[in-house]
Amino acid sequence: MTDLVVFLVLLTLGFVFGRLAESRHFKSIQKRERELATVLAFSERLPPPTNTPRRVALVGGNVVISVDYFKMIAAGLRSLFGGRVRSFESLVERARREALLRMKQQALELGAAMVVNVKLETASISKGSKGQIGAVEVYAYGTALIDIT
Amino acid sequence: MSNYENRPVPEGINYSQENPLKEFFLLLLAAGGALLVLLLILSLAAQKLAPLVPFSLEEKLVSRYAEQFPAPPESERAQLIENYLQQLAEQLLESQRLPEGLNLKIHYLPSKTVNAFATLGGNVYILDGLLEKMDSENALAMVVAHEIAHIINRDPIVAMGRGLTVSLALASVAGLSNSGAADWLIQQLGLATVMSFTRDQERAADAMALDMLQAHYGNVQGAGRLFAVMSEGGIAPPELLSTHPLSDKRIAAIQAYAQSHPQQGEPYPLPELIQQ
Amino acid sequence: MLVSNIEIIPGKRIASHLGLVQGNTVRTKHVGRDLMAGLKNIFGGELKGYTELLNDAREEAMQRMMQQAEAMGANAVINVRFSTSSVAAGAAELFAYGTAVVLE
Repeated sequence: MTDLVVFLVLLTLGFVFGRLAESRHFKSIQKRERELATVLAFSERLPPPTNTPRRVALVGGNVVISVDYFKMIAAGLRSLFGGRVRSFESLVERARREALLRMKQQALELGAAMVVNVKLETASISKGSKGQIGAVEVYAYGTALIDIT
Repeated sequence: MSNYENRPVPEGINYSQENPLKEFFLLLLAAGGALLVLLLILSLAAQKLAPLVPFSLEEKLVSRYAEQFPAPPESERAQLIENYLQQLAEQLLESQRLPEGLNLKIHYLPSKTVNAFATLGGNVYILDGLLEKMDSENALAMVVAHEIAHIINRDPIVAMGRGLTVSLALASVAGLSNSGAADWLIQQLGLATVMSFTRDQERAADAMALDMLQAHYGNVQGAGRLFAVMSEGGIAPPELLSTHPLSDKRIAAIQAYAQSHPQQGEPYPLPELIQQ
Repeated sequence: MLVSNIEIIPGKRIASHLGLVQGNTVRTKHVGRDLMAGLKNIFGGELKGYTELLNDAREEAMQRMMQQAEAMGANAVINVRFSTSSVAAGAAELFAYGTAVVLE
């Protein structure tokens, strides 16, 4: 019985705080995406042909985002039936956009207006004893093109 | 020279913006339903198959775990009480045909707990606490007859078969889901299925016990005593959670039985041995 | 919508580069499939259930990526890359990303 109470408390805490954190994170991502819109990012390997002298620098940004208890239980339930795991989709989406933003932030600090050959790496870290996920890491990296003026 | 720009991406393509609670409850409902159906099917199958286990095998199984059963009482009085209970059981059994190979053993435990139970291997345990609460031999006979009825109906092996099947099924589902969370959830659900007799089994045992009493004494007086003790002796759980039918309902069933069968004679007093 | 993993579409000129588009999905198979896969582990051979799962998921990730590109007003996605990771045991995450462009 105490187990059930602990479980319900954890679930509620996970849901309330997880959802709060998620909506706050999405708002912050949207805000910063507008702010950093001046830094362009492309997955193309080659920079646009140009005659202006340029310096290049490797820029990157990473982020580790943890699941909350609610997401974990929801995913566990989902794995019984199969299908789309919505609770994890929003998690990786947040991680990707955050990593890209951090990469762009670094490029902006270097004075770059464009990042090319952007690549994204995903890893799940701190797996539990039963293989349940603890957190997801996304690393975004690319080559920043800095105009030499 | 082509033009380079970053256009904003609309929200909600890679993730869903709907409230996750909706999906969660739907899944929970579906998982609970599926599990319930699975358990029902398995326990029904176990119930049908378990009585086919020969009694000799059941006894062999029990003898292997002999040390887990309560030790026989040592005092002379306890042995006398045990003999008396065994005799009472044999008298009650005269009206019933004990299935082939079934051995009935009545044990007395000098424990103050108010309880009596039937278990594997034809073993019936009557605890001193319950014995003390009985006001006549007929009342005690009802207790003994009820437990004998469980043995005749092979209820202990059915309950064990069901318990084993259910826990096996739960363990395999938990192993499959590959996720610690689901594993945990299933464990919690599994707690609800402990080894116990179902309400139907209890009802059948009550009916058989009344037949035994009627055949032996010519009346079913004192039969209600057991349930009166049960309902006063503890907190009665709500009917849904309880495996035993509510005491009121069982008393009503006894009254109905008494009205449809001729009642002759008075209840016998308990022997002095127990009254001490 | 033209999708390609090279950077230049032969015979076409890229009018404008619109930036990164991404599509992702996390999928699991139901326990029945997991059970069959477990059995298959004894005998070896193709896990059709999982092949199908990953294929469907990759298809969906690509659809979502193209949806983003379409919303941007692009008519092609070039230099597309796929990445797969197992976010949780039994669940696969498929991710596709590329550069949305307007071809002339």
